[in-house]
Amino acid sequence: LRLHRLRVTDLGAVLNADIAFGPGLNVLYGPNDLGKSTLADAIRLVLLLPHTSTHIEDYVPWTGGHDPVVEITFETEPQRIWRVRKEFRKGGTALLQESKNGVDFDDVERARKVDGRLRDLLRWGIPEPGGAGASRGLPTSFLATVLLSTQSDVTSVLNDSLQTDIGGTGRERIAAALQAVAQDPLFVALLKATQARRDEAFTDMGARKTAKGSVFKAAADRLNQVRDEKEKLQKVVDESEGVEKQLRDLTAMRGQLEETLFIASERLVTLDRLAAETANLAKAAEDVRIAREEVLRIQALGGEVNAAARTIEELAGPTEAAEGALKVARAQLAEADSALESAEHAVGASGSDPATAETVARQGLELRKAAADQASTDAQQQIERAIATQNLVDAAVTASREFLTQQAEREKIHVTLSETVAAERAAEEQLLEVDLLERACAARAAEEQASVAQAEVEKRAALQVRRDVAADEREALQALRTKIAVPSADALAPMRRLATDLAGAYGALNVGLVVTVTPQRQIDIVAKRDGTVVESTHEPLVVEARAEVELDIRDVATIRVRGGRRETQQTAELLAARWNSEVIPHLTAANVADLDGLTARIAEALDLDSRVTAKNTELQSIETQIAALVDSAEMLRDAIARRSACRAALGDVPVEMLASKLATLGDDPAAALRQRRQRLSIDLDLAREKANQVRTNDAIAEERTRTAGATLDAAVAARDTALATFPEGLATTFSAVRAMLATAVGEQLLVANEFSCLESTNAARKELIDSALRDARAAAKDARLRVSEADAVRTKAITDHALQVGRFEELSRLRDAQDLAAAEDALRDAVDRHAGAPVPQELVSETELAAAHDAKTTAMSDLNRIDREIQKTHGALGHVGGAVARERLRDANEAFELAAYHEREVEADYDAWLLLLEQMKGADAAQASNLGQVLAPAIAGRFEALTQRRYENIRLTAQLATEGVVVAGAVRSTDRISVGTRDQLSTLYRLSLAEYLCTAVVLDDQLVQSDDTRMDWFRALLTEKAHSFQIIVFTCRPSDYLADTAMAPEGNAVHNDTDGEFVRAVDLGRAVGRR
Amino acid sequence: VLRLLHTADWHLGRRFPSFPEESQKKLSRARMAVVSTILDVARRNSVNAVLCAGDLFDDPAPTPDFWQGLAKTFSDRAGPHPPVFLVPGNHDPFTSESVWDPAHPFRMRLPQWVHVVDRDDFTYELAPDVILYARPCRSKAGENDLAMALPAREAGDARVRIGCVHGCTFDLEGYQTNFPICRDAGEQRGLDYLAIGDTHSFRDVTESSLVPTVYPGAPEPTSFDEPGAGNVAIVALFRHGLRPRVHAEPVAHWQWTDRRCRDLNELRAVMTTQNLDRQVVRLHLEMTVSLAEESEVERIVRDLQGTDATHGSAGVLLVDRTNLRLQPGSGGVFSDDLPPVIKDTIGRLDALITAANGEAEKARATRALAHLYKLLQNQDALVGRAP
Repeated sequence: LRLHRLRVTDLGAVLNADIAFGPGLNVLYGPNDLGKSTLADAIRLVLLLPHTSTHIEDYVPWTGGHDPVVEITFETEPQRIWRVRKEFRKGGTALLQESKNGVDFDDVERARKVDGRLRDLLRWGIPEPGGAGASRGLPTSFLATVLLSTQSDVTSVLNDSLQTDIGGTGRERIAAALQAVAQDPLFVALLKATQARRDEAFTDMGARKTAKGSVFKAAADRLNQVRDEKEKLQKVVDESEGVEKQLRDLTAMRGQLEETLFIASERLVTLDRLAAETANLAKAAEDVRIAREEVLRIQALGGEVNAAARTIEELAGPTEAAEGALKVARAQLAEADSALESAEHAVGASGSDPATAETVARQGLELRKAAADQASTDAQQQIERAIATQNLVDAAVTASREFLTQQAEREKIHVTLSETVAAERAAEEQLLEVDLLERACAARAAEEQASVAQAEVEKRAALQVRRDVAADEREALQALRTKIAVPSADALAPMRRLATDLAGAYGALNVGLVVTVTPQRQIDIVAKRDGTVVESTHEPLVVEARAEVELDIRDVATIRVRGGRRETQQTAELLAARWNSEVIPHLTAANVADLDGLTARIAEALDLDSRVTAKNTELQSIETQIAALVDSAEMLRDAIARRSACRAALGDVPVEMLASKLATLGDDPAAALRQRRQRLSIDLDLAREKANQVRTNDAIAEERTRTAGATLDAAVAARDTALATFPEGLATTFSAVRAMLATAVGEQLLVANEFSCLESTNAARKELIDSALRDARAAAKDARLRVSEADAVRTKAITDHALQVGRFEELSRLRDAQDLAAAEDALRDAVDRHAGAPVPQELVSETELAAAHDAKTTAMSDLNRIDREIQKTHGALGHVGGAVARERLRDANEAFELAAYHEREVEADYDAWLLLLEQMKGADAAQASNLGQVLAPAIAGRFEALTQRRYENIRLTAQLATEGVVVAGAVRSTDRISVGTRDQLSTLYRLSLAEYLCTAVVLDDQLVQSDDTRMDWFRALLTEKAHSFQIIVFTCRPSDYLADTAMAPEGNAVHNDTDGEFVRAVDLGRAVGRR
Repeated sequence: VLRLLHTADWHLGRRFPSFPEESQKKLSRARMAVVSTILDVARRNSVNAVLCAGDLFDDPAPTPDFWQGLAKTFSDRAGPHPPVFLVPGNHDPFTSESVWDPAHPFRMRLPQWVHVVDRDDFTYELAPDVILYARPCRSKAGENDLAMALPAREAGDARVRIGCVHGCTFDLEGYQTNFPICRDAGEQRGLDYLAIGDTHSFRDVTESSLVPTVYPGAPEPTSFDEPGAGNVAIVALFRHGLRPRVHAEPVAHWQWTDRRCRDLNELRAVMTTQNLDRQVVRLHLEMTVSLAEESEVERIVRDLQGTDATHGSAGVLLVDRTNLRLQPGSGGVFSDDLPPVIKDTIGRLDALITAANGEAEKARATRALAHLYKLLQNQDALVGRAP
């Protein structure tokens, strides 16, 4: 505190005054009754007295006038300059302003709040106006007494102490100042170093520093950095291991599939072999059969040739006989003709006309006979052709019947094929339906998974919101907790004990007092009962109190009567001191009035702590839940992708359509569908097998039908060709030809009869002559008949023979075209092959073979798919790293462990620094709690020097009460030393304390009873200390403090500065306007 | 006789996150510096070729400092130089984004005698009747046996055939993903020497075979569990069918050692270790010490580690203090003539230790005592600085 300026108007005898203070020693001098003490009081009044206090009435000018106005400007620290202006008395005003430059002021407080703020600024131990213990008059305190001395009681400091201070700020301020100077240099250095280390890590409020640049932040940042790196690599490794596992699974699957493929291939090879063996055996058997048939056919052909040869041979005899008979008949005919010719010659010799007529008739008959023969032959040929044609017709009928049979058979097979194909299709459709249902099932499962994943994602989001809310709540709780500065709950018990002890001590002082004051003349007396002013006008004044009565007889004396023994009082003071040092700081820090308040605050703090802990637990729980759901988004994406894939696989078929079918499948539709698929697969295989068999039969039937058709077509073509030559139809032709044959035979018979008639006529006519002729003619006729018959027989024999020869030649040609030996060799070979062909161990059906083929194809396909998967997965692994990632993760893990250890070490280290600082401060506080021990040496040293070692020491209590001075090793009361020396001791006390506090001190007419020597000593001291703090001296003897040259020069100048402006002389005679 | 220098696993650009930043740089720089040493050894041994069997960079796309540094190391070599063959490994596989890509500036800066194996059918005739076959890694992991992918010896081929690939000859539990190499791949492919890389310790995996299959190891170790690291292999080949002679030649600057100290004497002995300045030391402090002893421990560690002003006696130091314990309490170690307030502080901390409910409280107070003890050890400097 340093005063800059004081302006006073209408205060006591002072009409006006305006004084500017220098930074050092200010000697304000003037003659008696000028108003020096009024100015000194003005400083006290403006700083301490509420502007409405009636106490100001003492300063209202006796002669009337305006209300007193005092304005003071002072500085509490650099660039914090304050100006207070108070217009006193009822209706007055108060204003506190602040400035940084001393020129421009801003209003800070007004009216009643001015005093509260001022007392905060001064920290002199004066409570706020209106608060507990506040007095009605001019407030005072130990520091106010020390720093603003009054002329009326220059040695009051020796009778006062911190004990009587109502507020604790004065003690705190003194303790802080004395503590700083009292510390051991080494300890100070240690404390500073420890504080510096503590400040590296903790805020002023004791919270850990987490901002950029703090040690915790650096360690945490490092840890987070390596943790991030580790987690990143862990993710890569997890991914890599996932891929590796997938690769292992795929490789294992590939092994299984290779095994499956091997088995399928082996099975197929076996079945192929068995099928080949079966086929070979069948082929060999067929070859044997064919070869055998060939041999038999060739052999049969040989038989037919032989039979034909035998038939020819057999026919050769009749032919020769017929030839012989014909020759005989022709010879007989020649003989008969010769006999006839002889007879005719004989007849000719008898007449030529009858012979000529007979010849003409005979020639006509001959012509008719030849025509009849020709007609007969033609008819015979026609009959044969008709018979052949009839045979072709019959063959066509047979072929047609065969064709119809085959067709019927094929249609039957067709029906069977349709049925089997329908069964196969039905099985396939059922399988397709199973496919669809399985997809629907998968879609529904994917849907459910997506729902679950969606729920998890939403749950995670909700948890994150909850976490943020909980974190905010925790922050709020922590903020509330940070604001509460309370000791641990354990500290309450000693405090309560102390409170009890103190109450007991005070109780021991409550002995009861009755003081009766009977004034002999008019006096102004203010009585206090146990610190409370007694409002009484009765005379005599009777004051009854429990422990203390104080009588302030204005301008005469202050009488304080206290109850209890001295030891008891000391005990109470000691306990009060302890109360002030051990309890009051906690109450002040907790901003409570008493221990109950402190207890409540501690309970509140504990409650907050427990709520913060609960919040932490809740947060941890939420974090755990969030961590458990960290993959939910990924799972949701997978589930959605799977759902989309499943839906895509379903095509346009809505799942709902299939839902009813799925519902019929029970609780596990997938298993039911699997079973159904297996059953349907078997059914389908059976249907396919049957269909294949039927198709084979169908193909065979078709081939047979086709062959029969071709045969039929050929037979029909042959028949039609043959029938084309019989446009009238076979039956008609047969009838016609038979009629022609009969006609021809009749004609032949008729001609023969006519020949007979001609002969008989000729015989009758030429009986005589022709008796021999007739006989000859009859013989010739018989001969001719026999020739004709023999010729017919011969023709038939020749025809039969020729037919047989033709057949024989054809058969021989056919037989010659065959190679029986080769056929037999082929048969033998075929038999050998058949015998040598391996007999299959089992018979293999086409179905089994097809199934084995399918199994191999499926296994091959699966294997190719797995190979592609492996290649793809390997590509992925090659990308993420595998071993490389693991190596880096190992390094990252090491770094993380080191960083975590480092962070723990940093925390432990700074916790230890914090603990060390606390303990050092505790020890220091304990050491420095006795303020008297600290302050006394400074006063004593100067007092010793001043008195030239007459006094060795001064003894101050912990509360800075003056116990006495040490003389010759004994403590003596200051009452026993001279008034002047007490005055000097008081001044030294004030100066020493002001120096420690670095604050201004006002000395009003001090040292008036000092001799020149001690005044010189004091002047030197004041001049020296003027460089350290502000000293304001009111005196009527300026020469005691100032050299002649330092006085304000004559003229208008109010003040004069010397000693580099550290000494200012102010002539109050010029500065003060008196009323 | 044809001589080869066979090296691998340089791991240029490798990070050492467990170490302090300054040490990390030392170790990273050493990996680059050893390449020059390797080329010097190659020249000193008059080798016909230098085979570098993979993992030359720690990453397929290292920062420019490393590939520029390597290119400069090569291009700074004056005079004729035997061919150097660089094979991409699984750490630095040959991909289009890697430094091995023909369009990468690294490739442009390489001298002509440096050959990058960037083809699966890479061959090079080192001398008449001596042929080199090599094959690069093309991914960070692979199941293909690159050695078995080299062409087999044809009938009548009497040339000396050398193979050079990167991969792993031993089988791990489960699926081997790191380019497995069949142990008798050299014999199966009709090679006379199979140069491989991956394992960081020097190892001939086929000592009983006619065809050596050798890991030269990392020329600079990368961790404390690589006892055979720090070498290159010098190979002398005579003719086909005769086992080549292989020996390891050290090139490393750093030697990595684990030191366990169970008492102060063992710790003091560390200071007397030979060539400590070329050692990367991991110091495991496994002892319980008093406050005064702890002060000595810290002094020795500081001497080993160095300060801002002084070099440490150890090349690189990593201290494991997890098993370093302090004896609880002041134990009469403090001077008797301390100011009362300091004695009071010590007494308070001792009282806290005595009344402590758990080890944590005890350790905290003991550590506070240790702080105080160290401050007092430096009190001259402290008071000198104090106002």
